[in-house]
Amino acid sequence: MRVLRNVFRRKLRSSLTIFGITIGVFALVVMGAMAEKINLLIDGGTKYYGDKVMVAEATAGNFSVRPLSLKKVEEIREVKGVADAFPQVYMMLDPEQNMSFGMPKMLVSGDLKANKYEEKKWKIGYVAGRKLKDGDIGKSVVGADLVKDLNAKVGKKIKVRGKEFEVVGIMEKTLTAPDSTVSILLPDAQDLFVKSLPVALQKTVKKEDLITSIVVYPKPGEDPGVLAKRINKEVKEVKATGPAEFRKQTGQAMVIFNTIIFGIGAISLLVGGLSVINTMMMSVSERTREIGIKKAIGASNRRIIREFLGEAATIGGIGGLLGLSLGWAFVQAVNSATAGTGTVVFLVTGRLAIGATLFAIALGAFAGLYPAWHAARLNPVKALRYE
Amino acid sequence: MAIVVAENLKKSYRLGKNNFVHALQGASLAIEPGEFVAIMGPSGSGKSTLLHMLGCLDDPDNGRVFLSGREVTKLRPSELTRIRARELGFIFQGFNLIPALTAIENVMLAAEYAGVNGRAKSERAEKMLDRVGLSERVRHLPSELSGGEQQRVAIARALVNEPAIILADEPTGDLDSTTSAEIIGIMRDLNRAMGRTFILVTHDHEVGSKCDRIIRMRDGVVDEAAG
Repeated sequence: MRVLRNVFRRKLRSSLTIFGITIGVFALVVMGAMAEKINLLIDGGTKYYGDKVMVAEATAGNFSVRPLSLKKVEEIREVKGVADAFPQVYMMLDPEQNMSFGMPKMLVSGDLKANKYEEKKWKIGYVAGRKLKDGDIGKSVVGADLVKDLNAKVGKKIKVRGKEFEVVGIMEKTLTAPDSTVSILLPDAQDLFVKSLPVALQKTVKKEDLITSIVVYPKPGEDPGVLAKRINKEVKEVKATGPAEFRKQTGQAMVIFNTIIFGIGAISLLVGGLSVINTMMMSVSERTREIGIKKAIGASNRRIIREFLGEAATIGGIGGLLGLSLGWAFVQAVNSATAGTGTVVFLVTGRLAIGATLFAIALGAFAGLYPAWHAARLNPVKALRYE
Repeated sequence: MAIVVAENLKKSYRLGKNNFVHALQGASLAIEPGEFVAIMGPSGSGKSTLLHMLGCLDDPDNGRVFLSGREVTKLRPSELTRIRARELGFIFQGFNLIPALTAIENVMLAAEYAGVNGRAKSERAEKMLDRVGLSERVRHLPSELSGGEQQRVAIARALVNEPAIILADEPTGDLDSTTSAEIIGIMRDLNRAMGRTFILVTHDHEVGSKCDRIIRMRDGVVDEAAG
């Protein structure tokens, strides 16, 4: 490999340049892996919320939960354009849980009848056991990322909010919301929900009547955004949210996040690129006489350009591959360290790996353009006299 | 008909603001096919500049150069590159091999520039190295070869494309007299066996004495009286 031999004629200098690119690509891979994970979560969320309307109590915030009466389900079913509506209890798995990175761990109970709508979009597989069915009081299904955290096994018991549940199924990894979710039946969830309310309030409410949210499925052809507005107008004390709302909230967050990634990419481009230019310029000036000889014995300008561009791209490529391996190793280490707590932060996708490597090669070649052009332009007579 | 013709070549270089060097001031010459010619003269007489013009590396301010009957002074740079690759061979004084390449790779490089690839390239290079007596050391880097061996590689490189004309600029400049005689001997053999035209710039009289003819230069012109 002539190119490699040329690159490593100056071992220390080339290694330092390669190392500079390695660091840039490492940062890009790590940050990119974080973005890819979040993108997937959001894709999943968009798909999940894509065609339905979520209804909560009028004063509830994004993640704060307020009780809602089961009677509202009937009221919503009367609204024009609603195919069906189901009660739901949705709360934090652990009441002490802080907002953490990624998806919060949730406890969910849905109406099993809603499954016929959900399964049209995605069918969740089970790595062990089965899904919940009617009469599964005291039983639960656990998401893939929570298995370690809860020490869950089919047939064994897990403790959730102070109450024990038998595990009947463990869900396949979906890379989005269900991974960090425990599902139980509505009566069980209502039981836990009442206990989470202030003691004074507990006595004034009827457990069977309490839910946190309602999932509304529009009739075919009905726009979920329009339906949400109609529900807000016709049903009192509730707040209906269509998919556009979800997209708007996450969209803003993603713009900021993507800007940061882009910024890191731009800095690594600048630093790595400048150091490649520097290395290649030194290399051209050291090899002036050699370039003169090559031109004298018949090397075309194109050939000289190709030679130096090849070296610059090789520097970029080696740096890129090293950065990718380091980044990948780092991501694996962090993911396996945090897997126990159910939080998976990074995801190195194929497109990220290929993209980062190609980016490094293109960066090297681009930075090599000027030095290569400079080399090709050398006057052979002057270059031959150069000592 | 002469294979190399120079007509009234003039060239001056600007070194400083008002400091011009008149390297060539109307040099003319004609060399026949198969000749083994030395260009000699004191430093600054313009012999290297003349050789560069014959080798299509530099263009004159005035005058014309013909190689094999074609006027090269009016060709485009890309055509000159092609002529250098396919029709000319170059040998320079010392350090004229690519240090990162082995002996055979240096020779193959010239073949590559002439558009020869694949097995033909390495076969030709090996044959040429064998011809200059270096078949044992083809995988050595220049730094592992003696001065004489390096110059043999350079000769093999100059001849690998079987060019009609070989130009050598002080080919024995860095060599002791024994090695120098050896190198000239190899070049003379190739000249006789293959009928190639050799033009050497030298100031070594030993070298000059082994040539068919000596072209003497003085102050940028060919000194006819001394020829």
